[in-house]
Amino acid sequence: MLTEQYLDLLVVGGGPAGMSAARTAADAGMRVLLVDERPTLGGQIYKQPGPGARVTDPAAADRSTAYGRSLIEAAQSSAADLVLRTSVVAVEQDDDGFAVVVVPDGERATTLRTRRLLLSCGAHDRPVVFPGWTLPGVVTAGGMQSMAKSQFVLPGRRMVFAGSGPVALAFPAQLAHYGADIAVALEAGPAPRPGDAARVARIARGNTDLLRDAARYRATLLRHRVPLRYGRVVVRAEGEGRVERVVHAAVDREWRVVPGTEQSVEADVLCIGYGFVPSLELLRLAGCETDFDEDLGGRVARKDDWGRTSVSGVYAAGDGTGVEGSYVAIDEGVLAALAAARDAGVLDERAADERAVPARRRLRRRRALARSTRRLFRVGPGIYDLADDETVVCRCEGITQSEVARAADATDDVSVVKALTRAGMGPCQGRNCARHVAASIAKAHGRPVGTVDFATARMPVRPVPISAMADADVADPGLFVADHEADGADGADVAVSREEGPL
Amino acid sequence: MSTAPTTLGPVPSLDSLRAPLPAETDVAIVGGGIAGAALAFYLARAGVEVVLVDRGELNREASGTNAGSFHLQLAIHQLSGAGTGADRDRLLADARLSLEAYRLWQELDDELDGDVHLHETGGWMVAETPEQVQVLRDKHELEQLAGIETEVVEGDALRERAPFLSPRVLAATYCPTEGHADPLSVTPLYAVRAAEHGAQLRTHVAVQAIDHHPEPGSGAHRFTVRTDQGDLRARRVVDCAGAWSGEVAAMVGLRLPVRHEGLHVNVTERRPRLLPSMVQHIGRRLTLKQSSQGTFIIGGGWPAPAVPLPHRYPTRWQSAAGNVAVALDVVPGLGDARVVRTWSGVIVFTDDMSPVVGESELVPGFFACIASTGFTFSPMFARQLAAQMAAPGDHEPFPERYAVDRAQERPAQP
Repeated sequence: MLTEQYLDLLVVGGGPAGMSAARTAADAGMRVLLVDERPTLGGQIYKQPGPGARVTDPAAADRSTAYGRSLIEAAQSSAADLVLRTSVVAVEQDDDGFAVVVVPDGERATTLRTRRLLLSCGAHDRPVVFPGWTLPGVVTAGGMQSMAKSQFVLPGRRMVFAGSGPVALAFPAQLAHYGADIAVALEAGPAPRPGDAARVARIARGNTDLLRDAARYRATLLRHRVPLRYGRVVVRAEGEGRVERVVHAAVDREWRVVPGTEQSVEADVLCIGYGFVPSLELLRLAGCETDFDEDLGGRVARKDDWGRTSVSGVYAAGDGTGVEGSYVAIDEGVLAALAAARDAGVLDERAADERAVPARRRLRRRRALARSTRRLFRVGPGIYDLADDETVVCRCEGITQSEVARAADATDDVSVVKALTRAGMGPCQGRNCARHVAASIAKAHGRPVGTVDFATARMPVRPVPISAMADADVADPGLFVADHEADGADGADVAVSREEGPL
Repeated sequence: MSTAPTTLGPVPSLDSLRAPLPAETDVAIVGGGIAGAALAFYLARAGVEVVLVDRGELNREASGTNAGSFHLQLAIHQLSGAGTGADRDRLLADARLSLEAYRLWQELDDELDGDVHLHETGGWMVAETPEQVQVLRDKHELEQLAGIETEVVEGDALRERAPFLSPRVLAATYCPTEGHADPLSVTPLYAVRAAEHGAQLRTHVAVQAIDHHPEPGSGAHRFTVRTDQGDLRARRVVDCAGAWSGEVAAMVGLRLPVRHEGLHVNVTERRPRLLPSMVQHIGRRLTLKQSSQGTFIIGGGWPAPAVPLPHRYPTRWQSAAGNVAVALDVVPGLGDARVVRTWSGVIVFTDDMSPVVGESELVPGFFACIASTGFTFSPMFARQLAAQMAAPGDHEPFPERYAVDRAQERPAQP
């Protein structure tokens, strides 16, 4: 994999979008490499059993695992090179494209060169800050799914699921399938109205698989006698050193807690699934513009209907650009790969248009369905109001809500709040707290949350051991003398000649 | 990991920072970094009317993005390569200055009634080659003359006292009084206290031009500072714009001997205590310390692109990879610590390695307060300059090598 030659296309992320993109681009004749940090392809949604885990009863594995398997096999049979256990940690633009720094697990960093870059980095669970959210026993849906799908492990005995959106139905059903004892499943959104199903069915012609999925999940919950309660959110997790109780309450349409509706339930695991948010780190590091759309996970990548971002040569597809689910991701991957092939001159315009037709047709249908169900799933602003003064907002640095709020009173600049409080300076680089901090600033200044950007993206986007990062071949710039024409403006003077002897 | 929460110090009030710009003042300070905020504080405390403006937020440039070390030992960025003989006078003067700057830092918590998180950790300056060892000895001699307590340590004594250093390190000087402070605390604290003394600080005010009136009217306002938020008439203007100080001086026709460079910093996750002291290198670009939070902060002046505002400065992988390689050579125990973030700031350097502090003779009323490695020196220069400006004539003039006009091509006829 490690070559000085330029790739035509580097695809980052081996989920549904990345796999379909890599296959499509390779089929079009591009020299393609796909990298993913996990040991198996499939991404979060089609996560496969981990190394060493063996499926002894294939019938017990769920249907999506099998579908994922078919996507993986299709990618593997294409001409694209697929490299796993390899994290992308930095992206820099150069004259001929992009220098992309990757760290293979346990090895030294190395730089790949590619003319085009397709980012399909997926999404992660929307972090929600409430009292007790950092207690052991509070897990995200994605984390729990990882444990269940790749290790066949559940982290406790009796669990509460709290969330919203499609996952609020699908996820407890999956967990029940894996043998979890679910005390209650809380959906923040309103109960479906009788008209909703009919409306969805009308619009969703051609989406029968989605409706079938939903019906199956519901049936699973009924079969396992999991109480599903609409219009309620988690407000607190309590316990000595770990989760022992979960307190939940009713919310209004804005997800603001209705006083006097609190109820407490005994549980040792609280699983949080308030939808997903795009993992934008690499897109932002590459300089791509973002927009705000709460329905797609908040801050999302700006892209045209071929997946071209605001930076020439960078394409984006899948949940990592705006959360629309795996079916949309697959087709976005196809379109972005076709756009890359067309921009590279590998495909002519007509061929690209023709090959895009089926994907576009499917996307139209999916998006029609999504619009029709949005009322049920929209995240309410009350989600940002659950913390009390003592709640830790930035769990890496131990920064509380009262500190963030005080800094937010003093400035509307997210970078200044970060500098004043240290919120967002830890290993997660704000992935957990950035949204909450932005919401705190928006609230303090009476602005819509979408107008507050995140703090600057910084490399490395994944922690890198010093032994993997260190490169003894980079020349030390030596003395700070004025006459070496150090022109920082183009940044090209990293390797100025080393002075012979400092004095 | 959630450890002891940091305590948020006083923060400047947004209402006053965004209040309308006053129409006139005695002193207008351009630049809201450590130099400007400190100068505003010392002037206001002395009863001088002062307005400070910054085009962005306070403390967002070099003052808030440097690695927070304060230097006492002579360091690589002070060496010209011409030898201690040629630079002897300047280096000796620099060493004496460091000592004075450091004494001020020690008083700063009391002076500002706050916490600048000053930690006197001691500092090692290491050498890996016989030539570098000779530089260590030469600089040690100068430091002794200046009254800075350093010692040269080598062999078994070095292994015993600094077991974290690699066998590659042949010798090191140790200075017990070096350390670091928190760049994110100092300037905001100066700003809050300056405002309490009556200084008016304004952010998001961009200076576009400075009109100079050599023969002012009755108010003695020799300058009109033209900004995107209106005009500010001032009797005196102080250029505290650090990396951009040359651009501000150019508005009154002056050329300063300054340039700027983007500098790169790396920080790791929190780790168990390994380094009790700072580590610097006499021949390679490295400053290394373990912060009170337990993170390793690795810098030393590796380059970063100095791209213009409004974009924040990007960092380069090459600088990260080269910088941590030096750190690993010197402290092998760092190998498995993970770098979680890099950042960069743009820092001012002077061409002749001397500061630019004082009043211009060519444009009377125009002052500058600019130091290379300003984090260590700015509080001291600001205090000295404020004293002069508050009571002109009562104080020793600044040394000739600080002169604001020294890079000026003198006109044939003044």
